[in-house]
Amino acid sequence: MYTIQTQDLSKTYKNGVNALNSLNIQVKEGEVFSLLGPNGAGKSSLIKILTTQCLATKGKAFILGIDTQKNPSSIRPLISCVSQSISIDNHMSLKENFIFQARLYSLDNKTIKQRMTTLIDSFKLSEYVKYPVSTYSGGIKRRLDIAMNMISFPKVLFLDEPTTGMDVQSRRAMWDMIQKIKETFRTTIFLTTHYLEEADILSDSICIIKDGKELIQASPYELKRLTGNSMIKIGLTDAKLLPSCCRYIESLKLCSSSYIRGESAFFVSDDSDSSFPLIIRALLDKPFYVKSADITSPSLEDVFIDLISKKEVKEDKKVC
Amino acid sequence: MLNILYRNMKWRVQNPITIVITLIQPILWMVLYGTVGANSMHSTISNYNAFILPGIMVLVTFSACCSGGIINYIMKNNASFYRVLISPVKRVSVVSGQALETVILSFIEISVLMAVSLFFSVRVPSDPLSFLSMLIILFLTAFFLSCLTYTMSLLLPNEVVYETVMNAIVLPTFFLSSALFPSETLSKNLYIVIYLNPFSHVINILRKILMNEPFPAREFFSVSLLLLILCIITFSCALYRLKKETAK
Repeated sequence: MYTIQTQDLSKTYKNGVNALNSLNIQVKEGEVFSLLGPNGAGKSSLIKILTTQCLATKGKAFILGIDTQKNPSSIRPLISCVSQSISIDNHMSLKENFIFQARLYSLDNKTIKQRMTTLIDSFKLSEYVKYPVSTYSGGIKRRLDIAMNMISFPKVLFLDEPTTGMDVQSRRAMWDMIQKIKETFRTTIFLTTHYLEEADILSDSICIIKDGKELIQASPYELKRLTGNSMIKIGLTDAKLLPSCCRYIESLKLCSSSYIRGESAFFVSDDSDSSFPLIIRALLDKPFYVKSADITSPSLEDVFIDLISKKEVKEDKKVC
Repeated sequence: MLNILYRNMKWRVQNPITIVITLIQPILWMVLYGTVGANSMHSTISNYNAFILPGIMVLVTFSACCSGGIINYIMKNNASFYRVLISPVKRVSVVSGQALETVILSFIEISVLMAVSLFFSVRVPSDPLSFLSMLIILFLTAFFLSCLTYTMSLLLPNEVVYETVMNAIVLPTFFLSSALFPSETLSKNLYIVIYLNPFSHVINILRKILMNEPFPAREFFSVSLLLLILCIITFSCALYRLKKETAK
């Protein structure tokens, strides 16, 4: 049994927007699962359905085998959700925030005290206990938000873009925190993020969605392999010519897809070693002055851009 | 329920300006309008301050309950509203906690108002039955209004629209009641409108108690029943709206 599973899940809002379109995902127990997708892909809608904040139009969603649509009150004690905006109460102290959250889950005083101490220590919040919450920095508030949501020891923790707007240092502290939650509390973590590096480092499994439909679900390692073992990276002396360079190589069918990132064009091919000299020769025949050329390994970002830029993903590439 | 109540009370204590602001207008009514009105009404009403006090009590309850709706918008804006919604806490507890906070605030403000009115020769009923009856009527009024304002805060999109709508409700309701003048002296059409306003009946019974008239037992039970029905209706509406927040 999967911890989270959706079956042909669809959501259409009253204004006609199709947020989810027959989405199928599976999340195993104890793993960090990352949901990636461009803005408007349906990530937040999916979290809202899974956390019982709204209903699906069609299809089913299960958490630990319980139908989220039919039995939301059985799901709620098992989950916690850290939303995009910080949800702590600024008018209460750090400990009062913990106690308020714990009482929502009907925890007794002894359990509250024990768990609060554990969480304050685990998430390095001890030095902030004596200060008013309203004076905390954004990063500390977010840390408290996550720690507070852990007081019920949820089976599943939803993190909706938890590091958005954070500086590099705070983001790395957050990554440590997420790994600690996974290792110490054995909580299944459902993460949405725009940072591909974050998903790459933290995740056991990644699902990329677009227009409310899953494009692919696999481990970071498998995803990188799917794009091909390597890619051809070309730099031109005149970067303005990169788009026409891509169109030209694609018209010759020397690559399956191409895209531009920074000052370079990337060409995806089933066999980069064979394609590399052909692409170089083709470019030299035309007035494209090649500044640099290399065969590189794809990053998760390459995979993401490759998949998102394609209109359809071939079924034989799908790994679930 | 107590958890939600504590959280809201804590917010209130940390924002005492919300208590002061909702008290200023009713106290000004009491002090300024009461003094001016007393001069022009002295031939028909012996103690005009005691006469208008029940209406001002209802007005202060309305103001306190309106500010309860604003707390809901603040909780929505900082996402703690949704954190509560996806927790296993019962919806009945959420509505009750929200409503009781504004009921407590109403009682605090009514106490201040009564303390001020002592300077205008208004006497607090010494008879325990009358005093208890007054508390019951005030509790039911405050609970009804807090459920109504909470429902409105769940229905209306933002605090600006909410404030506008509540202003459009509060003042006409206050002026079209028996708060400021004896309804018997008004024209027939206006009298019917005032009679249909449930707050006129609340004000009338509070007035009888405060002016030491014989205890109106029959009127007390009928007004209590009316308020109880209104409490049940508005509480159900608030509960329905809150449940709809997770059924979109």
